[in-house]
Amino acid sequence: MRYDSITEAIGGTPLVRIDPAVHGLRNIDLYAKLEMLNPFGSVKDRAAWNMARPGLADAGERAATVVELSSGNTAKALAVIAGMHGVSFKSVTNRMRVPEIKDLLLLLGAEIEELPGQTECLDPTNTEDPLTLFHQKLSEPGSASLHTDQYFNELNTEAHAAGTGPEIVADLDGRSPDWFIACVGTAGSSTGVARVLREHDPAVRVVGLVGEKKDFIPGIRNVDEVNQVGLFDPATYDSIETVSAEEALDGMLTLVRRCGILSGPTGGAAYFGAVRQLRPVDEELDSPANSGPDAEHPAERHADRRRQTAVFIVCDRVESYLSYVRQRRPELLGRPPVKNSVATLTDAELQAATVIDTADAQKWIAAERPLVVDLRGPFAYAALHIEGAVNIVDELFDELIRGGLPFSKRQPVLLACPVGEKSAQYAALLTRMGHPDVRSLAGGIIAWRDAGAPLVRD
Amino acid sequence: MDSAPLYLEPHLEPSLASLLDSAAFLHTLVDALGSPLNVVLPDEIARNVERFRAAYRRHNLAGQVFFAHKANRSSALVRRLAATDAGIDVASLGELQHALGAGFAPDRILATGPKNPEFRWLAARSGVTVSVDGPEELEELDALVGRHGLPPVRVLLRLADFEAPGAKVLSRQTHFGTSVKSLDQLLDVVERHQEAIRPIGVAYHLDTTSLDEKAIALEGCLLAMDALRKRGFQPRVIDIGGGFGVNYLAHAAQWERYTTELTNAVLGKRPSMTWSGHGYGLRAENGTLRGTLSLYPAHRPVAGAAYLDELLSLPARALGRPLGTLLLENLYDLHIEPGRSLVDQCGLSLARVLEVRRTDTGDHLVRLAMKANDASLEEHGVLMDPVLLPRGGVAAATGPAAVHLTGNLCLEADLITRRTVHLPRLPQPGDLLAFANTAGYCMDFSATHAQQQPIARKVAVHRDGGSWRWCLDEQYWPITRPGGQQI
Repeated sequence: MRYDSITEAIGGTPLVRIDPAVHGLRNIDLYAKLEMLNPFGSVKDRAAWNMARPGLADAGERAATVVELSSGNTAKALAVIAGMHGVSFKSVTNRMRVPEIKDLLLLLGAEIEELPGQTECLDPTNTEDPLTLFHQKLSEPGSASLHTDQYFNELNTEAHAAGTGPEIVADLDGRSPDWFIACVGTAGSSTGVARVLREHDPAVRVVGLVGEKKDFIPGIRNVDEVNQVGLFDPATYDSIETVSAEEALDGMLTLVRRCGILSGPTGGAAYFGAVRQLRPVDEELDSPANSGPDAEHPAERHADRRRQTAVFIVCDRVESYLSYVRQRRPELLGRPPVKNSVATLTDAELQAATVIDTADAQKWIAAERPLVVDLRGPFAYAALHIEGAVNIVDELFDELIRGGLPFSKRQPVLLACPVGEKSAQYAALLTRMGHPDVRSLAGGIIAWRDAGAPLVRD
Repeated sequence: MDSAPLYLEPHLEPSLASLLDSAAFLHTLVDALGSPLNVVLPDEIARNVERFRAAYRRHNLAGQVFFAHKANRSSALVRRLAATDAGIDVASLGELQHALGAGFAPDRILATGPKNPEFRWLAARSGVTVSVDGPEELEELDALVGRHGLPPVRVLLRLADFEAPGAKVLSRQTHFGTSVKSLDQLLDVVERHQEAIRPIGVAYHLDTTSLDEKAIALEGCLLAMDALRKRGFQPRVIDIGGGFGVNYLAHAAQWERYTTELTNAVLGKRPSMTWSGHGYGLRAENGTLRGTLSLYPAHRPVAGAAYLDELLSLPARALGRPLGTLLLENLYDLHIEPGRSLVDQCGLSLARVLEVRRTDTGDHLVRLAMKANDASLEEHGVLMDPVLLPRGGVAAATGPAAVHLTGNLCLEADLITRRTVHLPRLPQPGDLLAFANTAGYCMDFSATHAQQQPIARKVAVHRDGGSWRWCLDEQYWPITRPGGQQI
């Protein structure tokens, strides 16, 4: 396929059947709409392009900035689109809780503004609601901005009513699925797709998924926040269900490990919510009472009249969420222990490490000139250190010695850290690795200072 | 919609829970001393200091824990604190006198906030460390020292408007401290007055629950300390203020359900949960929720010492290492000024039920011998149920009741809380309502003599074996147990 612009590659995403052996539903075909395969990586590419396109030329002329309240995929797509059109982009957010996404946005050239947190001492007369301030700023005279306003902009919904929805119907041979399950973020995709599916078949059941309040799922509003979304209309959904972050991760793991679909947690939540919703329906379809023609699903609908179809949306890809996974399921990212690691030291080895107090260390330095290694960070080292010390910050030192001793066994070494705890561990480790004369500064640089020994700044 | 009562039960640790189990004792106190009545538990403040100390130990950090005195005026709490190794942060002449009189030596006192000349003089005269807002205050201190032949004053430079690389983090406007952008000019003033002023470090205090904002400020302080060192000073202290927070509620699920239902009520999807449909900052526009919930996050899984621990574990944006590690390896002491979190679980406020009536609309009104500002939970946005202590220990045999709590002022606005409060039983005249955990700001910070109604008296209590002993707050000294026995 040949395109003149990457934006033409937005949409036209595949609908992929999930292997029944994975979800275990016998009477329902479950399909994933792979919005993660949009060129900028998510379902938001469609909305971002549809919302920004009409105003881009004008924004370029008056040097306006594209502005959006977004903590993730919409910001990512808008940053790319703005960049392609020579327009700057600013994302304002109080929800950017996944650090990789922040870095990625900065890489794409976006400016990020984070709104302040809640006050600790409540001032009930304070009218400084951060969002109100944001809107005031936008409407200030002379503020050149193009606010795409994804939570209220009808063009967001329209992108899916014109694209995502019809694509699903076409891929199901002109029919609506029996079930459509979607996570609710801006409500744009679920509302737009539901509108199209209902036009084809009013019997389609639409399930909206929102997050539980105790933890967040990126890109999904929780049960309260969803009410702040202008595009959200409860009547769009036959039911609203909640999904927890844990369940989203369970769903995501199934998709990435068993289905070959590298989905992020939002898609995981949709998969989990879909299977949970459909399992009792599937059992119902199994029961003998349902063996006859089903009034709701006329015979012409499916060759096997008891079979149903369901579609859920895979919003984006897994790669941006490694720190999200690491915080909640560190064991999934576990690595085998390394050979020369302080974690493997025994108590006996730690006890046997040679420590030396400040007075003796000063004499030893004067007499034998040991290599003094300061394990603190470079900022602290630059401010004050023992004269002649070299600075190898602990995390670097840790990597360095995995491969073996970084200095000769004939060279005596004095290790120093803030309180003498880490230096004792490394002294023990280097001793185990065969170094004959490594000593740890007892009480560390703090004891050295408190003893009145000299510290210098270069 | 679920119609079960919307409880917000207070989080109670063993001491406060056991005190609330002693209804007869609390009734006796109110019978003798009147309603409202504040009760403090001095021993709890020592336990809270120890929790912060444990967080310090986890990061190998030295430094001082200063109680922000403004959170509570109690003498018992301050005197009990003086018996620990903690310090105190005073923000007025009266608070400084109180701290000195309670046994705090000047090296354990920090004077902060807006100061009048008398407050500044007593601080400088007695050798208390002064947190200064800007160059003007440095000039004033210098003049004071010169005029009265005082010893040099140890100062902390309070800074504000920190910036960090990467994503821009906005903070609320503050009228305290000097912008870090003007640090050089501030240090010029310090240098000019070296004879009178000894900068021991820098400080910030941000009124926010956001860890990110505080992390940026702390990193900004590390950089500012380096600027001081470059000029030849030997600063040693970074003071990160307070704002560590308190967890008020026992159950996350109750808080989540309550806030969800409040949202529904504002949207008209369920009957109102408040007096006159008040929305606590939320409102509905065309079926969409607008505004921001202006309530204290009453259920906070990470608060107090745990919040400090989390802040110290965050990596600095530019310097890369965890903030606690950076403090440690730069050989700095960490000072903190917790208020609310240091008096967590340290007290409660009692009010007598005067009248219970049913209005034409079927609402229960419960009138208390207390003004709204006698337990100003509402003013601080803390939603938490009072505990019902029936007179004679026997509750009326009714089921759960939804009530409105009104105060003793002849004023429509004198509602103890604007929300409908769900109680397990309908209170009766003579019963007590106990507002738990009010020692941080909610007990006496806002209490007034409006309409010549009394301000609550305060008593200190101590559990002695199976029974509770008490004394008036001003009679308490840590060497005698309430009730007289010397320790």
